[in-house]
Amino acid sequence: MAFLALDGLCASYGGAKDVLSDVTLNFAKGEVVGLIGPSGSGKSSLLRALVGLLKPRAGQVTLGGEAVDYGSRQSLRAARDRFAIVFQQYNLFQNMTALRNVAIAPTLVKKRKAAEVEAEARSLLTKVGLGEKFNAYPDELSGGQQQRVAIARALALHPDILLLDEVTSALDPELVGEVLDTIRALHAEGITMLIVSHEMAFIREVATTVVFMDQGRVVEVGPPAQIFDAPQSPRLRDFTARILRH
Amino acid sequence: MSYTLIYSQVSGHIPYLLAGAWLTLQLACISFFIGWGIGLVNAAVLAYGPRPARMAVRAYVTFFINTPLLVQIFFIFFVLPDMGILLSPYAAVAIGMSLNAGAYLTEIQRAGFGSLRRAEMDAAAAMGFSLVQTIWYVVLPHIAKALYPPLANQFIIQVMTTSIAAIFAVEELTGRAYNVNSLTFRALEVFSITAVIYIALTILCSLALALLGRWLFRVNAKVF
Repeated sequence: MAFLALDGLCASYGGAKDVLSDVTLNFAKGEVVGLIGPSGSGKSSLLRALVGLLKPRAGQVTLGGEAVDYGSRQSLRAARDRFAIVFQQYNLFQNMTALRNVAIAPTLVKKRKAAEVEAEARSLLTKVGLGEKFNAYPDELSGGQQQRVAIARALALHPDILLLDEVTSALDPELVGEVLDTIRALHAEGITMLIVSHEMAFIREVATTVVFMDQGRVVEVGPPAQIFDAPQSPRLRDFTARILRH
Repeated sequence: MSYTLIYSQVSGHIPYLLAGAWLTLQLACISFFIGWGIGLVNAAVLAYGPRPARMAVRAYVTFFINTPLLVQIFFIFFVLPDMGILLSPYAAVAIGMSLNAGAYLTEIQRAGFGSLRRAEMDAAAAMGFSLVQTIWYVVLPHIAKALYPPLANQFIIQVMTTSIAAIFAVEELTGRAYNVNSLTFRALEVFSITAVIYIALTILCSLALALLGRWLFRVNAKVF
């Protein structure tokens, strides 16, 4: 049975037009899913819908065999316990140090012991290469460093599924590599990830499954080799032709 | 024209002036904190309140920002007694300054209510923060930090503005300087000493506020 199943998911930002329409997808545990597609195709909205930042209008999300009810506070909390999201703009808490950014949710939300969480936060920050930056505030860090703090912050929640929303799009080109290396290391550990990215070479390298979306719909799903080398649908063929020309 | 500075005739009055400076600080603190409270409530009303309440707040702010403080205090001190409200000069000045500061602090704090960080609130929500936790740990620190410099500025303005109390015979620093001048007629000495006390007072307040800001919010305010 699928670990994460989306069935007919629809969502809109209040307008008449759905940003997600009838999204049906199934993923197994340990999969790394690359979500690709043109801007406005609903990739980021899909991740936001999974963590309840965008309320689904219709459809069903099932995680580990349990249906998520986004209308119920308790169910939403349980879902947020199992998903962790990393945003394009990092969204770090500017008034907190790197260490506190990583440690706050486990202590506050999961009620874990402060000392234990702090020790883990230190090891996570060290793991993403920021062992020297525990007490730095976000505005004292480069974009790449901030994004790595955000990844450590997400990992501190021990998510079943890590959602990465265009995590390198806001970075200077020379900083992209350090963040991708961090994700590669997670990939090696076998953590389940949904990655929205425009770094096609990277998606091709780490993804086990690639989902191509357009105008809120899933157009094609397949292994990277199929998606990039032998696209079935005309829309995807058009898309890959255009990105591979660059 | 030759003028011989004779500080000896005035120096004996320095403790009297310093005691006046203490009253100056009191007036500044009272009017600032009451004005702050008024401003906070008004800003919340402007952000979330019903239309009639918003209109009332706008009228209040418009009136107090567009009339001179002196006129406002004259009104409180001379007009209110006709309505049976008799106030001491000190109370009239304190109330006038508080209401006036309240108008400016409404405007200042209104901006703070607009400076929400959508992105950080999203992150907090996605990590399972409750609404109260989000407000306490994410929203309020930003508002406080954004508002700290203009609030600190307003406090210094309040310190300077207290000199208006001298007109109502309140014996704060300027009032006492006026008294000493009437006694000694050493105007240059009296008012130069008064100016130095004001400068010392402002520098001390700025320093204290800058240190407090650095400690609370990492605001790297210039002290001088």
